[in-house]
Amino acid sequence: MAQRLVIPIGPQHPALKEPLGFRFRVEGERVLETHIRMGYVHRGIERALQERSYIQALYLVERVCGICSHIHTTAFCQGVEELLGLEIPPRALYIRTIVCELERIHSHLLWLGVIGRDAGFETLFMYTWRDRETVLDILEEISGNRINYAVNTFGGVRIDLTSAQIESIPKRLDYLEEQAHYYLKLVTTEATFVARTHGVGYLSREDGRAFCVVGPTIRASGVDRDVRRDDPYAAYEELPFQVVTATEGDALARTVVRVKEVIESVRMIRHALHNLPEGEVRVRVRRRIPPGEVISRVEAPRGELIYYIKSDGTERPARVKIRAPTLANMVAVPHMLKGAHIADIPIVVAAIDLCIACADR
Amino acid sequence: MPARTLLKKLKGVLGEHIGQAWVPRPHRAFFSVRRDELHDVVEALVNRFDIKHLSTITGVDTGEELELLYHFWDYDVCFTVKITLPREKPCIKTLTDIVPGALFYEREVHDLLGVEFEEHPDLSPLVLPDGWEEGHPLLKDWSPP
Amino acid sequence: MLEGLVRWARRKSPWILHFNAGGCNGCDIELLDALTPRFDVERLGILEKATPRHADVLVCAGPVTRQARDRLLRIYEQVPEPKWVVAIGSCACSGGIFRGCYNVLGGIDQVIPVDMYVPGCPCKPEAIIDGLVKLLRSI
Repeated sequence: MAQRLVIPIGPQHPALKEPLGFRFRVEGERVLETHIRMGYVHRGIERALQERSYIQALYLVERVCGICSHIHTTAFCQGVEELLGLEIPPRALYIRTIVCELERIHSHLLWLGVIGRDAGFETLFMYTWRDRETVLDILEEISGNRINYAVNTFGGVRIDLTSAQIESIPKRLDYLEEQAHYYLKLVTTEATFVARTHGVGYLSREDGRAFCVVGPTIRASGVDRDVRRDDPYAAYEELPFQVVTATEGDALARTVVRVKEVIESVRMIRHALHNLPEGEVRVRVRRRIPPGEVISRVEAPRGELIYYIKSDGTERPARVKIRAPTLANMVAVPHMLKGAHIADIPIVVAAIDLCIACADR
Repeated sequence: MPARTLLKKLKGVLGEHIGQAWVPRPHRAFFSVRRDELHDVVEALVNRFDIKHLSTITGVDTGEELELLYHFWDYDVCFTVKITLPREKPCIKTLTDIVPGALFYEREVHDLLGVEFEEHPDLSPLVLPDGWEEGHPLLKDWSPP
Repeated sequence: MLEGLVRWARRKSPWILHFNAGGCNGCDIELLDALTPRFDVERLGILEKATPRHADVLVCAGPVTRQARDRLLRIYEQVPEPKWVVAIGSCACSGGIFRGCYNVLGGIDQVIPVDMYVPGCPCKPEAIIDGLVKLLRSI
C-alpha cells in the first residue's frame, strides 16, 4: 500500500531560477494534487505605474521581465499610440518587429537550454546558450544593451539600423538557422531526451481551451491560434510566416514547436531586413494623452500578452493592467500533473515556459 | 467590420441582456451587462457560441464605483464585457464553473481590489504575501502603511 | 602555514549560491550566462551549487520583496562561515527602479550585510566576473 505524503518544494530550489512554491500531495511515486503558491516576485508594478508619468512608466514596464522586455514595451507603446491616434512610420514598425523576433529567438533558445538542464542534458544547455550569445551580440550592436534594450518609445523606435548592420546580420542568421535545424534533429532523435519528454505533461485540446491556455503550449495541442496572424500588429501583416502547431500535446511536442518557431523567426527577420522601408523612425508626440481606454494584445514568446490601459487625460495613466502569458498557462499545471511521476515534475513545469516575474508583476 | 458582425450576432440571441455597446476599431468591441445577468451571458457565450477564451479580468476603481472588465477573444474580435459593482459591497458570482481558466484572474482581483467572488473554490491570496492586512492596493483611497 | 593553504584554496574555488530576491530575471540570466561557454567562470574555480550548505558566496539579484525577506535571512544563516555576499544589479544594490513600490523593501543590504555591489541594469557577465575577482583578491 503506497504511502500518502505532502511534499513541499520551493520557493528556493535548484530546478527553477525563480521563487515559486509547490505543495504536492503524492501517493507512492504519483502526484495526486498540486497546490501552487505564487507571489514571491510581486513588486506592485500596477500600482507604481499609476504614480509615474507615461514615459517613466515605459521604463518600468520594460523591467516587468528581463527575458521578454521588448514585447512588454511594444504592447504599452501600441496602446498609448492608439489613444493618441498616431500613425507610426513603416520603418519603425519593421524595426519593432525585427527586435520582437530576435527576442523570440533568444527566449526560445534560453528555454531549450533550461529544459535540457532539467532533463539532465547539460550539454544542450551549454550549446544553446552559446548560440544565444550570437543573438545577444546582434541586439547589443543595434540597441546598446544585451537585455532591456529600450528600443521602443511613444511614436516609433529610438534607434535606426545602419546599412552595415543590415548587411552583417543575415550571415549570423544563417548560422542560427543551421543550429536550429541541428537542435530539431537532436530533440526528436536523441533517445534519452525523447524518453523524458514523450507523453509527459499531456494537455488535450479541449482542456487547453477550457483553461484558456495560450502560446506554444496550446499550439502543441493542436489549436491553431497566434495573435501575430489573427490580430496583427506592428509589421506582421506584411511578413509572410507560418504558425507552427503540433498535435501530440506533450512536452516533446512543445519543444518541437518552439524550435520550429525559431526557424520561422529567422526567416521573418531575413524578409524584414531585405524589405526594410525607407523613412523616419519616429514621430513627435504630445505630452498629454487624451482620455480613453484601449486593449493592446501582442504575441510574446510565451503566448498572448494583453494590456488594458485607461487614461483620464492627466500626465499619469489611470489604470494599466498587465496579464502575462505565464499566468494563463499556470492554471493548467495542476491538471497536467495529475497522475504524473514525481521525477517528471520539473519537465512538466518547465514545458510551459515559466516566467514568474511576468506573472507576479 | 468583424466587431459589428459579432455584436449583431450576440444581440440576436442575448438582445435584452446587452446594454450600451461601442466599437472603437474593427477588431475591438465593448458592451455592458448587468451584474446579475453576467453568468447567464457567459454561459451562452461558452455553450451556444463556443467562445471559451477569457483573456483576463481587469478591475478598475473609478472613484465612485468598481468596474470589472471581462476580456474575451473569439479568435477574431477581442470583446470586453463591462460590469459595475458598488464600492460598499463588491460581490459577484464566480465564473469558474463554466470558464475554468478564470480561477487565477478572480483571485487576483480579490487580492488587489477586494471583490468577493461567490462560490469560488479557493480565494486565498495569489500575489500578496500571507498575512497581508493592509488592505487592497489598487483601490483609489488606499495608501501604503 | 595551514592558514595560508586554506586561504589559497578558498580564493581558488569559491562556490556560489544564486538567490533571486524578487527581480525581473535580467540579472539572473546574465549570471547564468557567466556559466556558459563564452564566459565560463568554471575555469576560475566558480561552481554554482544547489544548497546553501555548500556555498561560499551568496550571489543575490533583485530587490527584496516582503515575501523574500525571511527566506533570505534563513538562507544567509545556513551558509557556513566564512561567507560573503555579492549584490548584483541595481535593484539588489538599492532597490533600483522598484524603489518605493509597496511590496519592495529595498536593496539586499536592508536585510543582510553585503560585501560587494555590482551595479548595472542588468549587469553584464563581465561586470559580475570583475566583481567576484575583486572580492576574491580581498580574501
